[in-house]
Amino acid sequence: MPDVVLQARGLAKVFASPAGPLPVLTEVSLEVLAGESVSIRGSSGSGKTTLLQQLGGLDQPDKGEVRILSPGAGLVAPRSSLGRGVGFVFQNYQLMPELTALENVALAARIAGTPAAAAAAAARALLAQVGLGARLEHLPAKLSGGECQRVAIARALVNRPSVILADEPTGNLDERTGAEIMDLLLGVVADRGAALVLVTHSREFAERAGRRLVLSGGVLSPA
Amino acid sequence: MPWFLHLALRQLFPPGKRFPAFATVSILGVGLGVASLLVVQTVMNGFGEEHRLRIRESFGDCQVTGAATLEQPEALAKQLTARPEVASAALYAEGPALARQGDFSGIAQVRGIDPTDPDQPARRYVHFGRFDDLDDGRIILGVGLARALRVRIGDRIEVWSPAMAERAEKGKAPLPAEFEVTAVIQTGFAEVDNAAALIPLRRFRELWNLGPRAHGLTLRLKDPADAVATAGRLSAARPGLRFRPWQDIKKDFLEAIRFEKTMLFFLMFIITLVASFSIGSTLFSAVIRRSREVGVLASLGAARWQVVALFGLQGLLIGALGTFLGFVLTWTILAFRDGILRGINTFFGDGDMVANIYQFSKVPLHYDASDFVIAAAFTLLTTAVAGLVPALWAAGRKPSEAMRDA
Repeated sequence: MPDVVLQARGLAKVFASPAGPLPVLTEVSLEVLAGESVSIRGSSGSGKTTLLQQLGGLDQPDKGEVRILSPGAGLVAPRSSLGRGVGFVFQNYQLMPELTALENVALAARIAGTPAAAAAAAARALLAQVGLGARLEHLPAKLSGGECQRVAIARALVNRPSVILADEPTGNLDERTGAEIMDLLLGVVADRGAALVLVTHSREFAERAGRRLVLSGGVLSPA
Repeated sequence: MPWFLHLALRQLFPPGKRFPAFATVSILGVGLGVASLLVVQTVMNGFGEEHRLRIRESFGDCQVTGAATLEQPEALAKQLTARPEVASAALYAEGPALARQGDFSGIAQVRGIDPTDPDQPARRYVHFGRFDDLDDGRIILGVGLARALRVRIGDRIEVWSPAMAERAEKGKAPLPAEFEVTAVIQTGFAEVDNAAALIPLRRFRELWNLGPRAHGLTLRLKDPADAVATAGRLSAARPGLRFRPWQDIKKDFLEAIRFEKTMLFFLMFIITLVASFSIGSTLFSAVIRRSREVGVLASLGAARWQVVALFGLQGLLIGALGTFLGFVLTWTILAFRDGILRGINTFFGDGDMVANIYQFSKVPLHYDASDFVIAAAFTLLTTAVAGLVPALWAAGRKPSEAMRDA
């Protein structure tokens, strides 16, 4: 039986709004196993990004708790496993505009404490794996949207996290490039033995995940 | 190199941009502030040092006078020289006289000196002619007085002393003393250059009917900086005489210079402070613009202190580079100070203000390491604080908010 790499129990989140408290997540529980891919679909404003932020430790839930498998540390709070236990892929790539592709990927490794030379070597290998071996020294401004997302995927994977949280990774890409990125993401994540939690609008891409969920009314349910 | 320093350098100096606007303007602002501060301080130090030196050279380290003229000045000089704190003692006598050459005349402050004294300060300021040719028939003039009388080396002038007026009162023909101009001195101290006339002390006594007396003594001390304490001790030993240390001779003037320097430091420091505030505000908008990146760094596992370091270091780097630029600008401005001042004077048509008002022929300067250390410390502190405030704000935000608000 594979290890549990992500465990969320009873997550709830309420935002304040001019019209009064707005519950976004009411009772969300989720367990993701090593190597598993899970897609979460939902309409705009259903709380998909909020859920991903709670799962990854970028925000605290009002209720409930999240645990993520951190290498060598077991299941820990996501905030303490950021960069090591969990990797993010964002819709807008979120690369540092002043750093080259190689430096963007190496940055994640450096933040995790990897020495500069080892970080550069790991970044170089991953960029080659995502098909950007010839574009290591390019700044994000000189890369296409698809190439930027490949860099972002390499960055998310460079510290060998147990979970990748991908928030609409194909949202800014055309259909063909989006499909290529999905192929790459699923392939590379599986190749590295990581689990994937994919938030997407696209039914087609969601169908490609091993387990498919829908977020609606603040609750997760099987699609 | 830590990743946050690498990223701070990249954000300040993005690749492919030779003069990134934010970094260039910020560094230039700090550099100009530091340069303004140091140029003013260094020139003010120069003024202070020059004035102190001139005062000592003109009046000695300590001036000795009595209630009247000194009756036996040579003997007194010998006694004082025997004291351990006194290096040498020289007699002096001085007084105003009318100097004339043809149709041109001027008021000369005539001073009787010992031409054989190798330490005579006037030797250093000879502009034309030879000091060693000074004898009873020759005179040395300040450059301004020589110009007023339209004389050159070898020309002859007449000197009318007050003693000649006494002769006229007694019904005797008042004949002026005639001198050949043997040298012209330029001290840069307009007060001296426009009036000084040096003749041998023996000749001065003759013209002023002083006999063996002198107006006073000037002492050279072994430790001029300790002149106040030395004068106090000498005064206690010789109660009938007045010992005036050089710091006392133009006390108000020296105090004014010191006060002016302090005030200018604060005024100039405000310039640096304003530059730091503008860095702070620019850095704040840069941090707001980079909010999303702050969230991304958090998602990559960056600790709060590392985000603080990332933006705080940018303020500190601007401060350090601005300070360095300020040092270079200071050196450059001061190296060309006279040309710059000439240009300003020409532009505003004010004439040579330094000579006319401040009594120096050149803009004086004196580099003081402590000014540079203080300026650098203040600048680094203010720019670090200017960078730290937005850095703390950025690091204190929730990553999810930072990413949403950008």
